[in-house]
Amino acid sequence: MDLSQYAELFLVESREHLSSINQQLLEWERSPQATEPVAGIFRAVHTIKGMAAAMSYSVTSDLAHRMESLLDILRTGDGEVTQDHFELLFRATDTLEQAVAASVSGREGQLDVAEVLAALDAATRDLGAAARRPSRSSMPLVAVSEGPGIWIRVQIEPNSTLVGARAAVVIGRMEAIGAVREVRPPPSAFESDEFDGQFDFQLETELDPEAIEREIRAAGDIKQVLVGAERSRTDVKQTASGRSRHVRVDLQRVDSMMDLIGELVTARDQLTQVSAARTAGDLDDLTLKISRLTSDLQAEIIQVRMTPVWQVFDRFPRLVRDLARQLDKQVEFRVEGKEIELDRAILDEIGDPLVHLLRNAIDHGIEPPAEREALGKPPTGRVVLSALREKAKVAIKVSDDGRGIEREKILDRARRDGMVGDEVETLSDELLLRVLARSGFSTAAEVSDVSGRGVGIDIVATRLRALGGGLEVSSEIGVGTTFTLQLPITLAIVRALTVEVGDERYVLPITHVTETLDLDSSAVTELDGRAGLMYRGTVIPLVDLRELVNVSGIVPDRRPVVVVQIGGRRSGVVVDTLTGQQEIVVKSFDPPSGTLPIFSGATILGDGMPVLVLDAGGLV
Amino acid sequence: MSHTVLVCDDAIFMRTMIGDILSQAGYEIVGEAETGVQAVEKFKQLSPDLVTMDIVMPDMGGIDAVREIIKHDPGARILMCSAMGQQALVVEAIQAGAKDFVVKPFQPSRVLEAVQRVLG
Repeated sequence: MDLSQYAELFLVESREHLSSINQQLLEWERSPQATEPVAGIFRAVHTIKGMAAAMSYSVTSDLAHRMESLLDILRTGDGEVTQDHFELLFRATDTLEQAVAASVSGREGQLDVAEVLAALDAATRDLGAAARRPSRSSMPLVAVSEGPGIWIRVQIEPNSTLVGARAAVVIGRMEAIGAVREVRPPPSAFESDEFDGQFDFQLETELDPEAIEREIRAAGDIKQVLVGAERSRTDVKQTASGRSRHVRVDLQRVDSMMDLIGELVTARDQLTQVSAARTAGDLDDLTLKISRLTSDLQAEIIQVRMTPVWQVFDRFPRLVRDLARQLDKQVEFRVEGKEIELDRAILDEIGDPLVHLLRNAIDHGIEPPAEREALGKPPTGRVVLSALREKAKVAIKVSDDGRGIEREKILDRARRDGMVGDEVETLSDELLLRVLARSGFSTAAEVSDVSGRGVGIDIVATRLRALGGGLEVSSEIGVGTTFTLQLPITLAIVRALTVEVGDERYVLPITHVTETLDLDSSAVTELDGRAGLMYRGTVIPLVDLRELVNVSGIVPDRRPVVVVQIGGRRSGVVVDTLTGQQEIVVKSFDPPSGTLPIFSGATILGDGMPVLVLDAGGLV
Repeated sequence: MSHTVLVCDDAIFMRTMIGDILSQAGYEIVGEAETGVQAVEKFKQLSPDLVTMDIVMPDMGGIDAVREIIKHDPGARILMCSAMGQQALVVEAIQAGAKDFVVKPFQPSRVLEAVQRVLG
């Protein structure tokens, strides 16, 4: 059998389980007495083991197996869980993650897992000896059944009403004929409408299997009963038909659909133009119809790409925990708005910026416990990561209740570097961000040592701007700092202004365009030795696109200015002509080195012409 | 001898309907209750073979009434009557000791099946 076709599914599904293992390890570490996390971890590790074994990934399945052996002793309460166990399990989970990735790419043989395996075995042995139980290293791969009682799987008729309540009825009936040892998923899951009606439990009873099955079926609405059968949940999930209404789609497919719909939108715009030039009623009607269908299709595909932020957020609790330990800080981490959705492409981009901001918050924001107590603060610092939908944008905030940014020190440094004039007496939030975001500034050791902030803020700001978003900061000494990432919900299609200089065409996303006006030579002035434009009572920098892209030739007499704005910064961009507006699909773009930092991507216009997309951030 | 039933629901309409379904099938309705408190009192007084219990009732809800009744008689046979979307409450009621449930709108055949399961 060719297994390679299942590799991708194995990877995706294993990653989901790994994420759940990390989550539940954190939960378990917080409340070591709780029994649900360890049961959940055990199940997830067990599932990975089963899948890896099916794929013949022996290193992965062996590692999962040894983890499972340790977890089993901890799960059944025969061994007391200690901090050392948590550290070991976290480490083993990391190794398992590497093993999963390596297996899929055929590099399993290159992994060195001996040390982790030895540590797992040692821990299992110690506990096993303490519990006077035989080592279970010879346990067969699939069986989890142990202890008194028989494992039973029940599938409630999926079309019946309240499948969870029906499951509860079954358990109630089982309690009348024997002792129910363990139920998976835990009975609390029955209350959820997501519960699919399949559950397993271990029953200790005098009755024979036929009598048990009769008693279960008497509860009503039972589709299937398997007495004494233990199969991994995922096996059944994949074979049972019609249970899940979801399909897994390769992201590349969705991307290519998005590209195609983008081209369709462009073609529609062309059609609209062609149709407007002729006077044919039926063509108009058809154009209108195609136009509407295209918009609907576009909206649908955008919806398909929407992904909840937890897919990125879920790895942060672990990151925060590890960082806090490493830096001897006490941190309570809260995540809010996990269900908020963003375009997959945007979500993929914000992971690294968020890691950066969280790292800064813990490293430089949150004070050590003793210092916090001396300041009258609770010793445990608080870091909150939240997502909030605001109209067509999503705001993601990283806030801490740490020491805040020391503006005076930043200001001193900015003055010395000539970034701000002596007339600036205090740094507003906006100015502070500009100073911090200035490439190279923040990495200066003396600043990051004193104020702590700024390492890599420039990278974060650049990333966000490329996504059509922005970054804001607010900070108060002794109270804390909040960074806010403003993000568009969808990335791919934007309305843009098409402009020309000489024979060249460019587009400028309309999001950042404030207005367009005719260049009035009397309004041209000077600003810090460069060209400036009198605009609404202030002077804003004036940029000539001709000069920027080095276009020669005859300069027209009348030229328009496009005023672009990002945050509080504005500038006027002089072009030769404005040729219209249209929806464009921005395609990312790997600029050759030496390219001006004023482009954010490329696109194809309605007439088939490829053009570069101007980046407002590079122009202000 | 036919089984005796106590019907608990705050709506007369529902009590009438359940009463009709059950009495036409040969069960004997021995009492009705409009509130959870009444349900517990009447159970103690009548010792019916079966109780049908609405989940949402004034003064004491159906789930608390189940707990009280089970405390008084662990063998009590209680059938919960619920609306769609009350899964969590029904699960709670069953964990509290109710034996089965039916979901509104009631189909007589489903109600009778459930009653037979509980009494069986």
